[in-house]
Order: sequence, then structure tokens, then C-alpha cells
Amino acid sequence: MKFTRRDFLRWSMLGAGASIGAQMLSACAPAASGGMTRLPPPTPGAGSTYLAVARGGDDPEALVRRAVAALGGMERFVPKGANVVIKPNVCTAGRAYEYAATTNPWVVGAVVKLAREAGAARVRVFDNPFGGTAEDAFASSGIAEQVAAAGGEVEYPSAMKFVSVDLPAGETLKSTVVYGDVFDADVLINVPLPKHHSLAQLTIGMKNMLGVVRDRPLMHASLNQKLVDLNQFLVPTLTIVDAVRILTANGPTGGNLEDVRKLDTVIATHDGVAADAFATTLFGWEDPQRLQYVKFGAERGIGRSDLQNLRIEEISVG
Amino acid sequence: MADKSRRLFQWKDRYWRVARSAVQAVTLALFLFLFLRTVRGGLPAQAGTLFLHLDPLAMLAGLLAAKAYVKGMALALLTIGLTVLFGRAWCGWICPLGTTLDIFHPRRWKNKQPSIPEAARGIKHFLLTLILTSALLGSLWLMFLDPLTIMIRTLTEAVYPALDRIVAAIEEALYGIPALRASVSARDRILRPALLPADPAFTAGGVLIAAFFIGIIALNALAPRFWCRYLCPLGSLLGLTGKLAIFRREVNPAACNDCGACARVCPTGTIRPDKANASDPAECTLCLDCVSACPRAGQSFPAHLRPAGWNSYDPGRRQALAAIGAAVGGAALLRTDQYLRRALPHLLRPPGAVENDLLAKCIRCGECIRVCPTGVLHPSVAEAGVEGFWTPVLIARAGFCQYSCNACGQVCPVEAIPPLPLEAKQQQVLGAAFVDRNRCIAWSDHQECLVCEEMCPLPEKAITVDYSEFPGGAPVVDRTRCIGCGTCEYKCPVAGEAAIRVYAPGRDSV
Repeated sequence: MKFTRRDFLRWSMLGAGASIGAQMLSACAPAASGGMTRLPPPTPGAGSTYLAVARGGDDPEALVRRAVAALGGMERFVPKGANVVIKPNVCTAGRAYEYAATTNPWVVGAVVKLAREAGAARVRVFDNPFGGTAEDAFASSGIAEQVAAAGGEVEYPSAMKFVSVDLPAGETLKSTVVYGDVFDADVLINVPLPKHHSLAQLTIGMKNMLGVVRDRPLMHASLNQKLVDLNQFLVPTLTIVDAVRILTANGPTGGNLEDVRKLDTVIATHDGVAADAFATTLFGWEDPQRLQYVKFGAERGIGRSDLQNLRIEEISVG
Repeated sequence: MADKSRRLFQWKDRYWRVARSAVQAVTLALFLFLFLRTVRGGLPAQAGTLFLHLDPLAMLAGLLAAKAYVKGMALALLTIGLTVLFGRAWCGWICPLGTTLDIFHPRRWKNKQPSIPEAARGIKHFLLTLILTSALLGSLWLMFLDPLTIMIRTLTEAVYPALDRIVAAIEEALYGIPALRASVSARDRILRPALLPADPAFTAGGVLIAAFFIGIIALNALAPRFWCRYLCPLGSLLGLTGKLAIFRREVNPAACNDCGACARVCPTGTIRPDKANASDPAECTLCLDCVSACPRAGQSFPAHLRPAGWNSYDPGRRQALAAIGAAVGGAALLRTDQYLRRALPHLLRPPGAVENDLLAKCIRCGECIRVCPTGVLHPSVAEAGVEGFWTPVLIARAGFCQYSCNACGQVCPVEAIPPLPLEAKQQQVLGAAFVDRNRCIAWSDHQECLVCEEMCPLPEKAITVDYSEFPGGAPVVDRTRCIGCGTCEYKCPVAGEAAIRVYAPGRDSV
């Protein structure tokens, strides 16, 4: 077969036409911010557990299972056939899980399993690391391996999938660019780990949501207000804090085992503010309001930080 | 059965062309496969440098300049061995640039030899003498003329990034159609990051590198394989070695009726109708087009033990002296700008590379740039002075040196970047970061930021926080800890020049 100049031009025109047509079609498609399908977090009924804490043992999966069971099981959060996205903290490459720079891989694996058992159609794990390539970071943290073993997929960030969004209720952050597949998920499960962070003091769950924003360095001015805006806009259906290990200094990237404390603890709740408020107690804090984004979040009413008034179930495992 | 098939299949002279094209295609495909899959695709570093180690010019020049043997250099003896047997068969059958030039061979010049003076063939010999003499004087700056470095550099810095942009634009357009999303997404997952970079690739001077390559291709319009005939220094080295070639072309006067078919098809134009269709084994690439074209089987490749004769365009004493003089003068002149390199505050080299050592060892192949996962390495255009042209430099605004990566040192075929183990590389000082307090938004505007501190990858951060200036805190570099990886400079949200910059270490005093 011969490929003549005429053929070449014909194919080029066809390609160009398809590309232009595609762009026109996409312009007609509904704007991303209109097609919101994400489920709001289900509020617990009167008398049922608001926040569950599982502690002890040496099996992260058991901690996750017990904490989620105390909230009424994953079925409350993940309907059958749901498109689930899990957002761990995979901030950098080159750190094994022992360094507590990234979420514990077995915690992530357990969340994947629970979502699949609840009947999710698709379970993906997304983060956009800043320290090195995403592939390296998912591999070195051990998360890629556990996600695959649990039957989930890693969603490596792809430049084309970021979408511009307006935050109508945002006070400081009015518009930004977020990862479309997180935005479009039916169920978003936030799986952070508590770490030291110089600017925010601590990075836990609300701060972990920053990973879905594309241009992060710009987010640091008035960070705490912007985090509240972001968490009000992109509300995780469930927050599971991995405190199997926490990082007490040189965060969020870590690298020093002396800065790591092993607590074998997992916190689960539908309320992202309460999750972070409770996690501050792991660092020995008396007043969670010291964490600015928790304080602002409670004031805005997107969650609660009055731990003494919440129904908290403490579970001792193994 | 075997007998029958032997009768069914009879080798014909015209099959030589097909065989050669097939070998060329396979070799080029292997070259591209190794280009794409080494390190990033999981193949070991040694695989990616196979072709460079087979390149006798790169290895000989590297040996002369560094005066030290590097593991793998001896592989080039295979190519020399091939050349002693068959002359410039490398050029006709293996060289990826030669194959590329054959692909862009304009058909309509095929039956007419250009009228370029034969003396022009001497240019490549002049370049070879210049390169080898410069190498002996410790400078490899002309190695950017080696065909393999041209191929790798062009693929890395021009073809690959441009292809990435084209694919990304198509993907983005198709991804906009809701019905196609799932399928585009699935295909993207196959392409990235296995074949194309996950993040858009940035290049330094990619246009210049592309222009250089297009120039070489364009010269094909003047004569087929213009580059190989007149300019290629590797071709010169192999050609002069090929004077010794044992198997070389000979015309059988009894069979030849002087029809001129061989001279017309010869891609290097070395078959001379005025000399009874004889050819110069130093110019012949053993492509065997003449064998395929000959209607009377008038050519053979018998064994010879005597070297082939010298031609007018082959290097003479005068030309050699001129080249040596140019090399000495050039090397001296290049060194006169050395004081300028002291004044290059942001000249950052790959981990472990020492400036003068790098200039004497780096063959400008660009392998390090290809494997760098975070896009911080770029071929220097002006950053490293004239002598450092197209040597690797770190441009921290384009990327950063990933703390958990030591790929560049593993892949360097001449150890211009030492193969440091990861633990050693993580302590290797590339430079030191300084905060410009007048530009830093924390220091000057009292704005919350600390991005540099947050992203500093060291286990004990080299950036600390000064809370005395304002409650949000402002960054201070601890220079006893900083290794100059450039993460802070890359991530600094200040537009234009970053408010925290990595400065060259004071390790090379002139």
C-alpha cells in the first residue's frame, strides 16, 4: 500500500476536523460545575455514633473496619454502583510508609476493600504529589501495591482532567482549578494522616483536600480561610484519619524516623472538621480551636469542633 | 524437505537492498525502544547507553579527554571490528541517523549524482582531527557533532516534547466530549507515564536543537546522505578504519558493460564512472544498492589484506596540521572565558559532576536529560559558556532534582556524572539556596506562604521558619544543610525570578 501526499493531506484534514469538532462539541457540553453528582455526607441519626476511634493492635485493616462499622458500616456511605474516589495523602516520592509522610498503604487498601464490599462500581485512589512524580510516590509509599491488591485503581493525575470551578459560597477562594475525576465522584473518601506543618501547624483532613487543587503554591496566602472555602465546596462523604503513625516534626515531607510516633489509631466520621479536631488531641492539644482551619470551619458551620458535645465511640482493637 | 525449499527459494542480488533496509528498520526501532523504555520504562541504565558504548568516536574522544577508562567503552571495539571486516557497514546498516537520512532521501535525486567537489569529503576528516585533538587537550565541546548524540538530543529535547504537546492537545480536545471521556482516559493511562511524560515537558532551546537537525536533513536535498559523505566525524573515523576493510567492493571487468547503474544509485556517490566504476571503501557504506542495481552481477566483495589507497580528499599532512592548529587555538581560546564561569551564579551541574571534569568527560549525548523524571536537566545554551554548549545544567525554574532519584548518574555512559548510590546522591551538594527578602512575599509583604519550607525534601529541613518578622513565619535557609536540589526555587509562587534561588557552589576556583 502506498501512502501518497494526497492520502496524507486527507488524513490530516480529517484529524484537524475531528479535533475542531471535538472542541466545538465540548463547548456545548454542560459545564463541569453543573453536573454535580457527589453525595453529601449522611448525618448520623439521634443516638448513633458521630465519630469513631479505633485503637490498638497491629493490623491497620482491622482498625479501619471497626471504626467504619461503628458508624453503621460502609453501606451508609457507598451506595451500590457508586463511583468512589479515595484521597489519601501521597505528598512525596521516596518515603516508605514508616516515615509517616504518606498515608498507610494498608489503611488505603482497607478503605478500597470496604468500598468494593459495599458494592461500588469503581474505586479509584487519587493524589497529586508535589515531591517527585506521581508514579514514584505511589510506588515508594507502598500505596500502589495495596490498592491493586485490594481491587482498586490508582488514578495518576492527568493534565487534561483538571477543571475550572467557581466557589459561589467561597469567601476568600472564589474560583480555582480542581481534578475533574474527584469533583465528579459520587463518593469522596478523605484518608489523610496527621502531620506537622509549619504554616498550618498541622495538616490533617481538611488540609489534605488541597491535593485536588492544581496550583497549590498560590493557595498558601490566607491558607486557613481558603481551606474552609474548599472543604465547603468539595465535601468528603467520609473522612478516615490514618493515625497508625503520625509525624511530629519536619512535616509534611518527613524522612526522619525520630519524628514519627506510632499510635495505631484510626478515626472515622462523616464530619471533616470533627475528624481534624479530634486528631489534634493525638498531638496532646487541649484545644482543637488552636488549629485555625478547624476554628474557621466550625464558625462557618461546615462541621463541629465541640468534641465534648459529640457522641464519640472509642473502640479498643486486639 | 530442506532440499526442496532450497530449490524453491533462491537468493537474488536485489534482495540485498531489502535485507539492508530490514536491518536498518530493526536497529532504528531498537534504538527508539531503548530511548523510550530505559530507566523510565524499567530497563536498566546499561541498556539505554548500548548504542553510545558502540560508538567508537564517542568512546575514543571520551578516553582521550578524560584519560580514564570507563566501563563499557570497550564495546566500541565491536564496531571497529565490524569496520575492519566490512568498512563503513555501521553507516549503511546500523547508524540511527544514517537510517533517518535514508528515510528522508528524496527520490528524485536518486538517479543523478550531485556536482559537489570531491574535496568536500575532506571536511569530515578535518572535523575528526579537530575533535580528537581537542579531546586530547581536555575539551569535548565538538562532540555535539556525533551522530548518536545528535539523535538522542533531538529526540529528547525536540521530537519528544513536541509529540507530547500534540498528543496532549488531541487528548484534551477529545476528552471534552463526554461520550469519549472513558476511552480517552483509558488510552491516556497506557501512554502516560510509560511512554510520554505525566507532566508537560519543558525544553531549553528545543527550537535550536530541532533547527540543527532539520539542517542536517535539509542537506540531503543537495546530495543523498550529505551529512555522511561530507560532515560526519564518526563516518570519517569509520571510513579511515575502513581503508583496512577485508571485504570490499570490486568490479569484475569481464562482466561490467559500463552501463553506469551502480554509480547512479550509489547513495554516497563514491562509485566513479571515470575510474572504471571503482569505489573508495572509506566512503562506501556497504549498502549494496549497487549489487541490487547491477544487471550483470558485475560486483563482488572479495577478501583483501592490503589497505585501500589514499585519495585526494583523504587527510594530508597540511590538512592535519591545520586541524591540529585549530584545535590548539580553539582550546586555548575557549579557556579564556573561564573567568566568566566564575561569574555564572546559577550554573548548577547534575549531582556529583565537577565543572572542569564534566567538560572533559561529557560527550553531550543528553542521556541524563532524557531520564530526568522532573525535567530539571537541560542542555545548556548560554548557561555554561561556549565550551559548555549543550552540556547538562539544572534549571530550577523548569523542574527540581528529585530527592529520591539518582537516574542521571546511573545512565551517564562516560561517568561525567558519577554513578552515585542514592544515599550519597542525597547528600551531594549541588548549590545552596538563598532567600531574597525583598522579593519573598513572607518577608516583604507579610503574606502567609512557607511553600519552600513545606516542600524542602530533607529529613531535617534546610529551611527553617523565622516567626519574629510576622506571625505567619518567614523562611530562612540553613546553608549547612541545604543541598541545592532546587525544589524551593521551582515551587516558589513569586512570578518571574523566584524569591528563593539556588546559587552555584564555590567548588571550582579558577
